[in-house]
Amino acid sequence: MTDTNMDGPATPQRKNSLMAPDARTKQRNAAEARFKAYGIIAILIGVFFLVVLAASILRNGLPAFTQTVVELEFTLTEEQYNDAESKVLKTAAYKEFLVTAFRENLSERGVEVPFDESAIDRIVGQAGNTLRTYFRANEDQLGQPVTFSLGASSRVDGYFKGRVTREDLSNSRFLNAEDLDIVDVLADVGIMKQQFNWTFVTGKDAGVDNPGGAGIGASVIGSFFMMLVVLMLALPIGVAASIYLEEFAPKNRWTDLIEVNISNLAAVPSIVFGILGLAVFIQLAGLPQSAPLVGGLVLTLMTLPTIIISTRASLKAVPPSIRSAALGVGASKMQSVFHHVLPLAMPGILTGTIIGLAQALGETAPLLLIGMVGFVAREYPDGIVSGFTDANSAMPAQIYTWAARADQAFYEKAWGGIIVLLVFLLAMNVLAIILRRRFERRW
Amino acid sequence: MNDMRKIERDVDMNDVKISAKGVQVYYGTTHAIKDVDVLIQDKTVTAFIGPSGCGKSTFLRCLNRMNDTIDICRVTGDIRIDGDDIYDKRVDPVQLRAKVGMVFQKPNPFPKSIYDNVAYGPRIHGMAKNKADLDEIVERALRRGAIWDEVKDRLDAPGTGLSGGQQQRLCIARAVATEPEVLLMDEPCSALDPIATGQVEELIDELRNDYSVVIVTHSMQQAARVSQKTAFFHLGNLVEYGETGQIFTNPQDPRTESYISGKIG
Ligand SMILES: Nc1ncnc2c1ncn2[C@@H]1O[C@H](COP(=O)(O)OP(=O)(O)O)[C@@H](O)[C@H]1O
Ligand SMILES: [Mg+2]
Repeated sequence: MTDTNMDGPATPQRKNSLMAPDARTKQRNAAEARFKAYGIIAILIGVFFLVVLAASILRNGLPAFTQTVVELEFTLTEEQYNDAESKVLKTAAYKEFLVTAFRENLSERGVEVPFDESAIDRIVGQAGNTLRTYFRANEDQLGQPVTFSLGASSRVDGYFKGRVTREDLSNSRFLNAEDLDIVDVLADVGIMKQQFNWTFVTGKDAGVDNPGGAGIGASVIGSFFMMLVVLMLALPIGVAASIYLEEFAPKNRWTDLIEVNISNLAAVPSIVFGILGLAVFIQLAGLPQSAPLVGGLVLTLMTLPTIIISTRASLKAVPPSIRSAALGVGASKMQSVFHHVLPLAMPGILTGTIIGLAQALGETAPLLLIGMVGFVAREYPDGIVSGFTDANSAMPAQIYTWAARADQAFYEKAWGGIIVLLVFLLAMNVLAIILRRRFERRW
Repeated sequence: MNDMRKIERDVDMNDVKISAKGVQVYYGTTHAIKDVDVLIQDKTVTAFIGPSGCGKSTFLRCLNRMNDTIDICRVTGDIRIDGDDIYDKRVDPVQLRAKVGMVFQKPNPFPKSIYDNVAYGPRIHGMAKNKADLDEIVERALRRGAIWDEVKDRLDAPGTGLSGGQQQRLCIARAVATEPEVLLMDEPCSALDPIATGQVEELIDELRNDYSVVIVTHSMQQAARVSQKTAFFHLGNLVEYGETGQIFTNPQDPRTESYISGKIG
C-alpha cells in the first residue's frame, strides 16, 4: 500500500471527481467508523457494569436504611415502677407490663392474638431493658403516656424486607411461624411498621447478636478524623515537596533518586504501610492503638506519593513563559512560584489531593493492621482530642467487619455502609469540581 | 530598501550603558557564544541580527542573567552595566532584572487583569505608596506601551483576552512599569501582524528617549527601521557591530554581506 501521490508534485493521475470518494478515502472512513463503533461498545460495556453495580448496591443496601419498629403508647404508674424496681428480675417485670399493655391495646381494637412474654422476646427483643433504662432516666414521665418505638428483632425485620420467609422458620428457635401470624396482625393494625433507620446512620457498632442496633455513625466520625489528619499533613507536605523538587531542586543524581523512589512508593501495596504504621507509630512511638490519629498517619504515607506526583504534573503543565514573565519583571523565584505558577497549578493539585483522599477514605487493609477493626467503634468520641486518639474504626473497616458476621442482617448493613461510603466519595468529588471551577483560569 | 536611507541616524555621542568583554556561553558542552565583545549605548536602539541559532537570544539573556534559570548554561566573561559587573557575587539577579526589563518573543501576559499585569512589577518592588500612586504608575506605563486608549475602559478584563499585538504592547507596558534602564526585546514582533508590528516599532522608537533598548530581530528591514546600532551574529561569533546604516550599506565582513543579501540564514 504505497502512496505514490505522497511525494513529488501532483500528477495528472488525480482525475477523480471530488463528488465521489476514492477507494483510499472510503477505506479510511471505514476504519474511522469501525473505531468509533469500538469506542461506543467499550463505553456501553462500562455503563452496563456501572448500572449493574449501582443497582445491586441500592437493592442490597437500601433496606439497611429502614427499620421495623413496634410503636406503642404506654403508661407506667408510679406503683408499677416501685414494684418493678423492688423485684429481683427487674427487666422481666417491665416486660410483663409491656405485654399487658399490648394485650389491652389489641383487645381495644378487637383483635385476638396469643401474645405472651416469650413471643415478645422473639418479636421485639430486649424490650424490658429499654423501658427500664428510659424510666430510670426520666422519672418525671411516670404516670404519663409515652409512645415507644421499639426496634423489632432482626428476623422480624428480615420478614418485612423479604429476607426471611415462613419456610425458613419451620425449625427455628428464634422465631416461629405462629409469631409471624402475630406480626401480620400487628402490622395490620399499624402497631408494627417500617420507618427510616436513624440508628443506622448515626449509631455505633453493636454486638453480633444485635444487628438492629448497629450503626455506621461512629466509624463515619473515625473516617472524618482520619481524613482531617491526612489533609492537614499530606497536602502541605506533598505540595511543599513538589514545589521544591519541581522548581528549586538542582537536577542531579540525588533528586533523580528521590523522584524514582516517590514514584515507586505510589505503587507499594497499602498493607505494607499498615504494618509499617504498626511497627513505627504504635510499637516504637507508643501512639494509642486503633486511634484515628495513627490511621491518618498511615494513610498520609500512602497518599503523599499520589499528591506529589499529581502536584508535580500540574506544576510542569504551567507554561514556562509565565515563569519567564514573572522573572522578567524582577520577581524572585519564590514570588514567581507563589504568585503565578501555584495559582495556575491549583486545579490540578486539588484534583490530585481529592483523588488521594478518596483512595485513603476507601482503604481497609492498613487499618485492620493497626487495630481499627469495626467492632472497636462502640463509643462516640467526647471531643476533638479524643476524636483523634480514642479507639475508633473507619467506614470501610466497619463494612468489612459487618460483612464477615454470620447474621444476614449484618450483610444488609454492610451494603448500607457501602452506600454511605459512596455518598461521601460523591460529596468529595463534587467539592473537587466546585473548587476546580473556582480556581480555573485561562492562559 | 528605502527604509534604510529614511532614517538619518543620530551621531552616537551617547554614553556606554552596557559593556561586554570576552563573553563565552556554554550549554553543557555546546559553545553557544564565543568570545563576544560589545559596547551598548544609552538612549539607543541596538539590534542583534543573524541566522537563527547563532546565539542572539542567548547573548540577550546574558544581559539580565535570565540564563541563570537554565541549569546547564554557563556564562563567563565580563558584563558591566554602568560599570557594575552584573555577574559579581554581590549582585542579586532579581534586583538586576528590575533594572533590565525584558519583552519576550511570544506575548506572555499573566492570566490576570490588564491592571494587575502592569501593577505586578511595581507592587513587588514597592514602588507605589498607595492605590492612587499605583493607578498613576499603571496609566503611565500603559500610555508608554501605546495601549492606554485601547484598554482604559476595561482594565479589569483579562490580559490574555487581548489580541496578539495588544498583548505584546501590554507586555512592553508591564516591562516599563518597573522603570527599567535597559529594555531587552527578543523578537518582539515575530508573532504579530504587520499593523501590530508597525505600532510596536513606533513604540520602540519612542522608548529610545528614556531607555537603552536592545532588540533581537530576524527581520533586517526591522533592524534597519528601528535601530541605530546593529550587531551581526554568526555561529556564536559577533561578526560585525556598528552603525546600522553602515552595516546595511557597507558591511565590512563577507559573512555580513552574504547574510544581508540573503545568501546565508
Ligand atoms: N536552553 C538551551 N539548552 C541548550 N541549548 C540551547 C538552549 N538555548 C539555546 N541553545 C543553543 O544555543 C544556540 C543559540 O541559540 P539561541 O540563542 O536561541 O539562537 P537565536 O536566538 O540566535 O536563534 C543554539 O545552538 C541552541 O541550540
Ligand atoms: Mg532566539
